[in-house]
Amino acid sequence: MSSPIRFALIGNPNCGKTSLFNRLTGARAKVANYPGVTVERRSGIVTGLTKPAELLDLPGTYSLFVTSPDEQVARDVILGKLAGERRPDLLIAVVDACNLRLGLRLVMELKTLNRPMVLALNQMDEAKRRGISIDTAALSHAIGMPIIETVAVNSQGVNELRALLDGYAQQPPLAAGEQSLTLSDRQESVEALYAEIESLIRQYVIAPAHLPRWQDRLDALVMHPLLGLVVLFSILLVIFQAVFAWASPAVDLIDAGFSGLGELVGTLLPDGILKDFIVEGLIAGVGGVLVFLPQIIILFFFILVLEDTGYLTRAAFLLDRPMRGLGLSGRSFIPLLSSFACAVPGIMATRTISDPRERFITIMVAPLMTCSARLPVYALIIAAFIPEKTVWGFFNLQGLTLFALYFAGVASAALIAWIMRRRSGREEFPLLLELPTYRWPMAYHLLMGLRERAWIFIRRVGTIILALSIVLWFLATFPGAPENATMPAIDYSFAGQLGHFMQPLFAPLGFNWQMCIALIPAMGAREVAVSALATVYAVGEESIDVALGSALAASWSLPVAYAYLAWFVYAPQCISTIAVVKRETNSAKATTFFTVYLFALAYFAAWATYQIASAIVG
Amino acid sequence: MNTAVLADSLSPVLRLDQCRKGATVRVTTLIEQPLFGAQDERVSLRLKELGFLPGALLKVIGFGLMGSDPMAVQVNGTKFALRRAEAAKICVEPASTHP
Repeated sequence: MSSPIRFALIGNPNCGKTSLFNRLTGARAKVANYPGVTVERRSGIVTGLTKPAELLDLPGTYSLFVTSPDEQVARDVILGKLAGERRPDLLIAVVDACNLRLGLRLVMELKTLNRPMVLALNQMDEAKRRGISIDTAALSHAIGMPIIETVAVNSQGVNELRALLDGYAQQPPLAAGEQSLTLSDRQESVEALYAEIESLIRQYVIAPAHLPRWQDRLDALVMHPLLGLVVLFSILLVIFQAVFAWASPAVDLIDAGFSGLGELVGTLLPDGILKDFIVEGLIAGVGGVLVFLPQIIILFFFILVLEDTGYLTRAAFLLDRPMRGLGLSGRSFIPLLSSFACAVPGIMATRTISDPRERFITIMVAPLMTCSARLPVYALIIAAFIPEKTVWGFFNLQGLTLFALYFAGVASAALIAWIMRRRSGREEFPLLLELPTYRWPMAYHLLMGLRERAWIFIRRVGTIILALSIVLWFLATFPGAPENATMPAIDYSFAGQLGHFMQPLFAPLGFNWQMCIALIPAMGAREVAVSALATVYAVGEESIDVALGSALAASWSLPVAYAYLAWFVYAPQCISTIAVVKRETNSAKATTFFTVYLFALAYFAAWATYQIASAIVG
Repeated sequence: MNTAVLADSLSPVLRLDQCRKGATVRVTTLIEQPLFGAQDERVSLRLKELGFLPGALLKVIGFGLMGSDPMAVQVNGTKFALRRAEAAKICVEPASTHP
């Protein structure tokens, strides 16, 4: 058996582990600056070695005595207790040179496992800037393992580390690598370990007693009970403004590009089924969704910058108390904020929450944060039904409606979290959140993170959304209308039959059968509802010229449009979200509850909206 | 004579959650917090691992808005957010900034 040697990176949250991983492997992993962002298993092949070697990037942890699911993963891998995961042959302990005590503590704890280990002393540039000087050679001698000084932002030291790793890769993997290790109960020895570290630091480290002044000054503002909230809400306002306003030139450009492409293909191809398929099925379907790429990139850009600078944990600090009233905590803030982009990474980020009840509630309400896939649906219906006028002086009515939809999601999430918490015990869990020092976001990692996000979205468009568009087009086109047809062709198609079949169920909500059809592909991805409506109405009208918005405005009443919006606020219209809930809760019961309660809520909300709006409009 | 006041004034124990913003204090001991129930010991252990050990110097950086909760505390150059429930586990004594 000759499986390659395996290295694992282990260290505190925020020590720069993931950026070191990127440098060593050339892989694309998300890098951030708040505790516990690395919740997925990431592995890669170390580049530039003479023998193949695998590198694992373990979740950040403070200790082997774990308190959250992601710390558990790190510990289990190191001890060889994770099923199907071979124990690493060499541990690369990463320590932030600016946060030496906390890092060394973990190193000393790991050292008692008697595993081959090297220490990467990371962020040495920042440490030097702060006047911290470390006698690396003497420290290395004292703790009995090689120490390499690294700077994760550039390749200084990384090549030195690579050379060292190459030496290990030459050796055959240790034969005893399969058996698992057990932790001794060293609870009482925390003091002794710290005493040892204090003595090491006294001997080998010279450090100023204070953090740089600007860090404390910034915290005084950002964490101020009142001004801090002003800062937080200003930032959130800028993000939403940016997503909706700054993206529009790029959105218009992509939109115009696809319309142009459709027209061009339309003139080149002869009339017939192939032309219909390419123009109405492919180009309209894919283009209708791809226009949201700019908004997604802008949203993720802000989230990544806020993570990287260390600001997000300050926001979590400010919001901890208000969120606790709902049974959540500041720790839930970060997953919930990510859910505005997409619930899937949001739900995965809940692994940093140590309280199992809180984690469960956060997962259950995360999809109520309006994700970017819902935007296309909202934008289409709002543009078609809500007049673009100014109310109360300076509020745009369309913008206000959009805000109301976002608010409805957040308010419902708060209410549901509160109800769920009432129903369970009230055992307290500690917050204990590290507030990392502020850092400038690194352009390289920002770009890598955005690239990864953009790529995931484009791949989705190219696979699921493309496939759904094709299937939908076929369903809406075949079988064709009979010779003596009295109704539009779509009424005779499979899609039309399916829509008519579903319609009685949705009649109390005011939905017509076209709306029912759009709900089906929306299960694959919500945004496909837009292209589905486009296909259904375009095929039905036998005219592509009629803009979808005016087609909707002509055939839906205002209460129906509101009801459709209400449905989309709540419905768990996305298989990937349901799948990730199943994976993260590992419970069929929880997943069923999640799906049923959200659909029930969607049905009720749409029904209530329709009835109330009908009563008002008359 | 009010016995409650007497008991209070006689009690020399100051807990971290009672400290003012800007105070510099030294940890004396960690005590039990019934709110955490069975996992109280784990919380104590984690606090110690993060550096809240007897003898450690702490600086109170700030408080949240509602009920001055949570609080931000600096230990060994690292800042942490603690809820009052955790902070109440940490007994402290006043310390001057320049020992």
